[in-house]
Amino acid sequence: MFEFLFKYPPAAFERGHLVLLGAWPVWVLILLIVLVAGGLALLDARRLRGISEAGRSWRLGVLWLLQSLLAAFVLVLLWQPAIAVSELRPRQNIVAILVDDSRSMSLKEGGARREDQAIEALRSQLLPAIGSRFETRLYRFDSGLTRVDLAQLGPAQAPATHIGDSLKQLAVETSDLPIGAVVLLSDGGDSSGGVGRDAIEALRRRHIPVHTVGFGAVEGAPDVEVEDVTLATRALAQSRVSAVVKLREHGYDGRRTRIIVRDGGKILTVREITLQGGGAIQAEPIVFDVGGAGAKPLEFSVEPLSTESNQANNTVTRLIDVESQPRRILYFEGEPRWEYKFIRRAAEDDPMVHLASILRTTENKIYRQGIDSPNELVDGFPTRPEDLFAFQGLIIGSVDAGYFTQAQQELIREFAGRRGGGVLFLGGRASLADGVWGGSLAADALPVILPDSHETFHRDPATVSLTPAGELSVICRLVDDPVENAARWDKLPYLMDYQDPGRPKPGAVVLADMHHDGRTMPLLITQNYGRGRTAVLATGGTWRWQMSLPLGDPTHHVFWQQLLRWLVTETPGPVVASVPSPVLLDQSHVRISAEVRDQRYSTAVDASVAARVIGPAGAPQQIELAPVPNDPGRFAADWTVPAAGLYVAEVTARRGSEEIGRDVVPFERLDGVAENFHTEQDRDLLEQLAASTGGRYWQPGELAALARSLPYSQSGLSSRELEDLWNMPANFLLILALRCAEWLLRRKWGIV
Amino acid sequence: MRLLRSCRLLALSGGIACGLLILQGDHAAFSQELRSLPDVTESSGDKAEFYWSRLRYTSSGYGESGYGYGYGGGFGFGFFGWSRDYPKADRQMLMALKRLTRVQMRPTEQVVDLDSDDIFNYPWVYAVQVANWTFTDAEAKRLREYLLKGGFLMVDDFHGTLDWQRFMAGMRQVLPNRPVEELSDNDEIFHVLFDLSERFQVPGEQYVWSGRTYEKDGYIPRWRAIRDDKGRIIVAICYNMHLGDAWEWADMPQYPEKFASLAYRVGMNYIIYGMTH
Repeated sequence: MFEFLFKYPPAAFERGHLVLLGAWPVWVLILLIVLVAGGLALLDARRLRGISEAGRSWRLGVLWLLQSLLAAFVLVLLWQPAIAVSELRPRQNIVAILVDDSRSMSLKEGGARREDQAIEALRSQLLPAIGSRFETRLYRFDSGLTRVDLAQLGPAQAPATHIGDSLKQLAVETSDLPIGAVVLLSDGGDSSGGVGRDAIEALRRRHIPVHTVGFGAVEGAPDVEVEDVTLATRALAQSRVSAVVKLREHGYDGRRTRIIVRDGGKILTVREITLQGGGAIQAEPIVFDVGGAGAKPLEFSVEPLSTESNQANNTVTRLIDVESQPRRILYFEGEPRWEYKFIRRAAEDDPMVHLASILRTTENKIYRQGIDSPNELVDGFPTRPEDLFAFQGLIIGSVDAGYFTQAQQELIREFAGRRGGGVLFLGGRASLADGVWGGSLAADALPVILPDSHETFHRDPATVSLTPAGELSVICRLVDDPVENAARWDKLPYLMDYQDPGRPKPGAVVLADMHHDGRTMPLLITQNYGRGRTAVLATGGTWRWQMSLPLGDPTHHVFWQQLLRWLVTETPGPVVASVPSPVLLDQSHVRISAEVRDQRYSTAVDASVAARVIGPAGAPQQIELAPVPNDPGRFAADWTVPAAGLYVAEVTARRGSEEIGRDVVPFERLDGVAENFHTEQDRDLLEQLAASTGGRYWQPGELAALARSLPYSQSGLSSRELEDLWNMPANFLLILALRCAEWLLRRKWGIV
Repeated sequence: MRLLRSCRLLALSGGIACGLLILQGDHAAFSQELRSLPDVTESSGDKAEFYWSRLRYTSSGYGESGYGYGYGGGFGFGFFGWSRDYPKADRQMLMALKRLTRVQMRPTEQVVDLDSDDIFNYPWVYAVQVANWTFTDAEAKRLREYLLKGGFLMVDDFHGTLDWQRFMAGMRQVLPNRPVEELSDNDEIFHVLFDLSERFQVPGEQYVWSGRTYEKDGYIPRWRAIRDDKGRIIVAICYNMHLGDAWEWADMPQYPEKFASLAYRVGMNYIIYGMTH
């Protein structure tokens, strides 16, 4: 219809601009329009003077406007309007047609496979229509691009789709060819995570528009799909870790199924869930014991439902590095108290946490426990960064800030901020506000704004409860089931004492509250601070849980072990190795990075860094990491992952002959897995790709229009064409409409 | 015959009367002792981190001592039951603790029983004259749970073979299978606050008039302990010595300072150990 009315396809109007071909200048046209409009006004006024009334004047104005518009429009047509647009020269340009050859195109919808629908569309419509004006080149693409004949298309079995890489390859291979346009037939399922900016830029530089044709239903058949799993990349052995499984489902609203976490063949946990439906993302937290040490690919599965069309998208793999090296925590306590004893006892039951402690027993004596050598900490709290930063965690007990020098207070702050450790401040009669910590140099690291008063510690009972954030936190997970866990907290024996910790700072998270005499205060507050994390536990009375609960009840020890592990699990060493994503889905490139710091945790810019990568083939490969410009202390190297499988990169940093540190980062290349996910048509991706290159998204039923739009392109061999607009049918219809409107109004209003 | 029976009755009545007089005299002395203590009534209700907790148990009634026979039995005050040296020894020990350490304590003692769970609020407990203690099954179970959860028990003032057997009869009811071991001089409990490698027998107040450091056949002081599965001392046994008397009579001019000094240091070490292990 559009082309019937306006002679040309929309692309001509989108890409062209209006010109007037008349010999006389435009100002003459404007002057004539004004004169004609004025003349019409005078004429109307004189002729209708006798019947002019106040109530009719606006109607006369409407009639005058219609006449003036008509006159102006006719005058414009006399000036020969045209559209100037670039057009591909017939028979001199090439249109590249790319057909998705990946496995998702083999899905059947409406009785036919997507790939068959695409081939049929090519055969019956696109190739004849395009081939009559341009040369065509046919390609199939998956993780790469291959030129084919029509007969060579199908069956679609490739395990991955890399649209961006394929387009980049096309741009390179056709750099000396006049490519006028690209037509891409696909379901939009891209297993590399999207079309990269470099691919778009390669096409835009040559002004090549990509016209995308989408195949497949936008909303899938009844299906449950695991969209993503959020899991920490590191954990300590035998730790309880938390993950969030994000899933999406269609057609199973209210149905019950189970989330299963497996380490190889071993089931780590099972959790029953109710599907929420509606196609929205459903996030399910899950907690499990990660088991022994090693790099582990964990499988997170949603148990398939009986009628699911695609069960291959119910499982995703996430890699976690479970470390066996125990972490050390320094606990400084200002006075003998029961909390100290029972924290130590909880830590003694945890082989992954070693608690070294300094206890002020008298004004002039300290008592050390958990030390590695007789001289360790012999002078009390460390004064040198290298001594304090040898620990991964720090606990400050009931000791006022004034006990520490300003340099030590600054070290406490930097322990979290620069070193990346965890600092826990406990409540007590010399803690927090009562210990004047608000005025200390470490105050910035506190996750709370302390009260102004100094009598905040009370030896009165306080009950506890979890906050919503605490219900999700692995620190507070006493039992795996979240509902049972919250109930367990509500029934815990009261704390022996409590301290008002003040208000949580913005960004801090309150995991548990305490209640005394109708007043609710935060009990456990955590926050990320700098490279590390800090927390406040505003009591010195959790020991009562251990003494009051039945013999053998693990509540107190489990809580403290989890809190202590939280404190140190993420604490980095001098070398922190990383990869952008530990799971490489159909990707063969990985960037191995390392952040290197010395014993004082200052950036080590003069280090030499190397990675030793061991893969499934067995033979290790040595890679040198180069300094990253404008990022002191960071080193990186790109590496091609030769084949699918699990890899471990051990990164070592040296300064001369001295080893600064080392770290291990595992990653896994998985081929053919991503293709099972997001099997419905990704229309958004196809629309964005078309829009960003100057093309358009088309549905299979619009292929004829697509063929007519192709000539309007600036790429390839094109010429500037002037297309007349004066003879568009729409013009005559408009003139007719104006005259009819005037006639009808005159009849209605009785104005002749 | 009738005369003989009358004489026996007379002797019995006289004995009872004498016994009551002695009893009255003991109570008078005890009251006198209480009056000589610092006035702590104002602070007795204070809340604190550490409470000197004295275990009140049911005595067997043997009441046998090296220098006489007592009247122990039940829960009453006396020289030969749970309240031996109470409360002066406790309060003087607390004064020393306050002066020499950073422990925040209440200046008065706390009596704890085994017939309620309140004992679990006091993770350190002191018991004397433990040769006389007896437990019901419920009490033994509660004390066992108390110790295995993290409580600490210090026992003192029992002497000789017979006392040991009676102490162990009660202890076996509480911890049937845990061995009692001799503590070496290197044990952490003797170094946690003061270095106490050199120790000696600490006698009771009887030393002042008898000159003997031992009582009954308890000639050699024994520093013994029962440990938990992790090797931590949960019962510290001061056998063949009387630390409580040394605390109580430390201000008596005739009582040697060296005994009192060692007793205080041992007591503080045991408290600090109980609060750190």
